Amino acid sequence: MSQLKIIGKPISRDDAWAKAKGELKYADDFSLPGMLYGKVLHSKYPAAKIISINTEKAKQFSGVRAVLTAGDVPHNETVTRFGQSSEVGKGFEGLYRVLADKKVRFMGEAIALLAADTEEIAEEAINLIEVEYEPLPGVFDPVEAMQPGAYLVGEVDSNIIAQFGCAQGDIERGFKEADIIIEDTYKVPFVDHAYLETESGIAWIDENSVINIRVGSQVIEHFRDVADVLGLPHNRVRYRGTMMGGGFGGKEDITVETYLALLTWKTKKPVRLVYSREESILCHSKRHPFIMHYKVGAKKDGKLVALEAELISDAGAYPYLSPWVNLYATVNAAGPYCIPHIKVNTYCVLTNNTFTSANRGFGAPQPNMAYESIMDELAHQLSINPLEIRRINCLTTGKALSTTGQTFKTYVALPEVAEKAWEALGNPTRIKDKYKKVGQGLAIGLMSYGRMTFLHDSSRCYVRLESDGSILIRSGIPDLGGGQVSILCQIVAEELGVPMSKINIYYSDTALTPLAGTTTATRQTYMSGNAALKAAREIKKRLIYKAAQMMNVHTDNLDIGEEKIIVKYKPSQYLPLIEAIKACNADGIELFCEAQFNGPFTMTPDLSNIRGMIFPDFTFGAQAVEIAVDIETGEVEVLKLVTCYDVGKAINPLSVEGQMEGGSIYGLGYALMEEVIIKDGVTLTPSFSEYIIPTSADVPEAKAILVESGGGLGPYGAKGIGEPACSIIAPAILNAIYNAVGVRIKSLPATPEKIIRTLKGQFN
Amino acid sequence: MHNTRFLTQEFEYFVPHTLSEALDLLFTYQDKRTKILAGGTDLLVKMKTLGIGVDYLININEISEIKNVELDKGLKIGAAVKLSQLEKMKAVKEEYPALYEGITSMAAIAIRNMATLVGNICNASPAGDTIPPLVVYGAKLRIVSKKGERVIPLEDFISGVGETILKRDELVSQVIIPEPYKDLGSAFCKKGRVKADIAKINLAVGIERDGDICRDCRIVLGSVFSKTLRAYKSEEILRGKVIKDDLIISAAKRAAEEIKPIDDVRSTAEYRNELARVMVEDTLHIAWERAGGKRW
Ligand SMILES: Cc1cc2nc3c(=O)[nH]c(=O)nc-3n(C[C@H](O)[C@H](O)[C@H](O)COP(=O)(O)OP(=O)(O)OC[C@H]3O[C@@H](n4cnc5c(N)ncnc54)[C@H](O)[C@@H]3O)c2cc1C
Repeated sequence: MSQLKIIGKPISRDDAWAKAKGELKYADDFSLPGMLYGKVLHSKYPAAKIISINTEKAKQFSGVRAVLTAGDVPHNETVTRFGQSSEVGKGFEGLYRVLADKKVRFMGEAIALLAADTEEIAEEAINLIEVEYEPLPGVFDPVEAMQPGAYLVGEVDSNIIAQFGCAQGDIERGFKEADIIIEDTYKVPFVDHAYLETESGIAWIDENSVINIRVGSQVIEHFRDVADVLGLPHNRVRYRGTMMGGGFGGKEDITVETYLALLTWKTKKPVRLVYSREESILCHSKRHPFIMHYKVGAKKDGKLVALEAELISDAGAYPYLSPWVNLYATVNAAGPYCIPHIKVNTYCVLTNNTFTSANRGFGAPQPNMAYESIMDELAHQLSINPLEIRRINCLTTGKALSTTGQTFKTYVALPEVAEKAWEALGNPTRIKDKYKKVGQGLAIGLMSYGRMTFLHDSSRCYVRLESDGSILIRSGIPDLGGGQVSILCQIVAEELGVPMSKINIYYSDTALTPLAGTTTATRQTYMSGNAALKAAREIKKRLIYKAAQMMNVHTDNLDIGEEKIIVKYKPSQYLPLIEAIKACNADGIELFCEAQFNGPFTMTPDLSNIRGMIFPDFTFGAQAVEIAVDIETGEVEVLKLVTCYDVGKAINPLSVEGQMEGGSIYGLGYALMEEVIIKDGVTLTPSFSEYIIPTSADVPEAKAILVESGGGLGPYGAKGIGEPACSIIAPAILNAIYNAVGVRIKSLPATPEKIIRTLKGQFN
Repeated sequence: MHNTRFLTQEFEYFVPHTLSEALDLLFTYQDKRTKILAGGTDLLVKMKTLGIGVDYLININEISEIKNVELDKGLKIGAAVKLSQLEKMKAVKEEYPALYEGITSMAAIAIRNMATLVGNICNASPAGDTIPPLVVYGAKLRIVSKKGERVIPLEDFISGVGETILKRDELVSQVIIPEPYKDLGSAFCKKGRVKADIAKINLAVGIERDGDICRDCRIVLGSVFSKTLRAYKSEEILRGKVIKDDLIISAAKRAAEEIKPIDDVRSTAEYRNELARVMVEDTLHIAWERAGGKRW
């Protein structure tokens, strides 16, 4: 391949400048004449019968334009979807209920919608809706909820909504062969996405009677689900996505769009609705808590022979994406290790807690915390160093993933990433303070990029070369802040030899941009990147074909760069791009192309024993940290933080480093402080006064090491990095704490309170 | 569910330009739900989240008499002086380091640009970060009303969580901090969940040194009781004694026994007891060194 000019260069993104200057317009930075303000009434109880709802007083209140309850919604109950194009079967489909009907299942569940002339009126009038409840006992612990006879959260006869299994070898024989067996239980809590931009948007009906929704969504394909709720043809609902102030999986489900659509449909007026921070924390999805029971067996030399895991997750009150998240957790349960005998069972259980769904990592970080803790314990008990135990057992190129048997033909960067991260950490820092103990920890992991192959995923992109040599791209791609939009521009700029400044892109519009699929599953660089590449290369081919005729040179000898079509062996001989464009236009050669890229397609697997290809490929990474624990206060200070991933090819190294650093910090909060505390269904951490995340002042210097193997399935060999980047750091920190003070924290977050308590317990 | 995005209540809003105007308003509306607005960083939050109802809001930020700091034998800080203004003053940083440390530990600069010292006091939170340092320095408050004025020690001002002895027609116009003893060493310490956070525990200590002896001392802790708490028995251990390491250790132990912490969303009582001992010990060491005392 000729030398890359734009790919691989640290490009500062247009959206980054706009964000830094405060110029970027988010979903709610938008008004329309005559706009109303929407408001949602949320349930006061986690579990209750709704005896009656009286909306009369609210309706009478001056300035109120509409009040809606379940009965006003044309199709109040549909099925949760996330843009899949294949039939996946009932096992994955959960009930999506727009407004609570007869029963509430969690505190914060939407019961009624209201639209009013001002935000103040809406706020006041919402309290005039009278709901008579009859509180029900509810169930708040997933293990309890699994038992026969437990309180039923939903309307079906079990709270267990999904079960998955993986098995290989003979688990009993495996443990018999083991010289050492370690067994333990690990727990991870609910956490919030904590994006800067809360769930918000604005909707209106346009001159063609189409409901337009301007919203920050990771899945603009939800326009279909909104249309289904309203009973409208799909082409009567249009999403116009905006740049998002963070998504992290929280904008993968429908957020406020259905509410907006219903209110605008009912009032025929534009409506804006913006969640407060408290609504965002109380009423929208959280990351799944898991209880993970692990048992591993190994030989004296450290070689793993058996792994058994039972994972129980709290789905909260509605399924949403819980089955999918639990499938990911199941496939990830044995980590990137080769183990002959495996048994994994996963149970996903409804409770009357806030519902859980996608959160960056999508089921990978939870088991990673468990298996990397137990691997560290194994290394400790066998007196093998943490890097060595991973070297002995890790997956390598050509080997198969233990859970599913999927083999890796592409390069598996293990143990390379672990070695690089561990080495970069260097010798332990010496600290004078006798109460501060320094420790180092390592963890490795894998995470898929691209959606599950049985979803038959595809993406589309349109590219048009203008007569003046500028380029227009149209792609449905939503941008969460990860630089998804900019990546497409870079790819097209590279392929067509045009500077970034001459590219303009329209994105995230379900009516006018070709659908590019969801910005989830770390799939956009891979999927839409390939679609953009395909479209650009098609146009390139046509240009070169024409230029070859004009220059009388064979097409094989021509290339495009710097707005010229150049003779490869004699770069001084070239045709200006603009001349080729003119000639193509005159000849009627199409200088536009809409291309579709399809991922690999497979059948839906047997969910009780998942085998074969489930994901197109994985990203492998390692995280090494050095921390100091104050043995008197239990405080943990992160001194060094090294992240190393094989990203295949860094299309924009600035964005990749941003993902790796940001991902680490996202995971650092998970490790040390973040927890949505829900007691008997009541959230005790409803704002950022109680729910604490790391701030810039709490963040250590982070070092990102990029391995570029070129072995990815994305354009130029790129892999995905967005979610993998946050999935490994928590156990690295826990392992470092163990290394420093000899206590193993088995439930996140590792707060000073827990560390001191465990330390004291150990000495007593 | 409350909405922190905006204020929904209706109220009358006044911006007096003189103290007497403000006092007239307070007098006139003393039987109504009347509130003084300084930086609003506590009050507005409470109006949104706790639904505190207000009929009359009196903004005191335009009253020139209370907008300055007098530097004459100590400090006299007006009620409308912003925290960020104080932290920039050399006198605060050098003469009253515990106050300086307390202020700079608070929130982020945007909040400190709005918030006032008097607001932190009148809010009477057990976790207020400037209160322990001010008690250490023996601060007094000038309290004024249409009828007159009184000056009372800060220690006697706060009566419980969010409660003070202020009468409905009164306001605090000034904080008076006396000149410190020449060999006073003082320090502040705070532990939160993250760098900018409300304290799990905060504390300030002051030791007046006379040779090797602690002539007098104050140990004041926050977030361990319904109001700022002075560890009198712990102070007793040090007062009049030759300062030694073991003395500091036993004073710290004693202080940890004197506090009455609770479990809350920020921490646990069990942990706070442990933490208090460590913090008091460390901070006593720092203060003693700052007083010019020897370290062993
Ligand atoms: C994000 C954030 C972080 C924070 N972090 C911290 C922290 O780390 N530590 C901490 O201690 N606090 C913190 N606070 C609380 C708050 O900022 C401080 O207590 C601040 O000093 C309050 O001052 P203010 O001028 O804003 O008070 P206001 O909110 O204006 O007033 C507070 C109370 O005092 C009354 N009042 C004000 N002035 C007078 C007066 N002259 N006479 C009589 N009554 C009066 C008001 O009526 C009100 O009841 C934080 C607040 C926020 C929003």
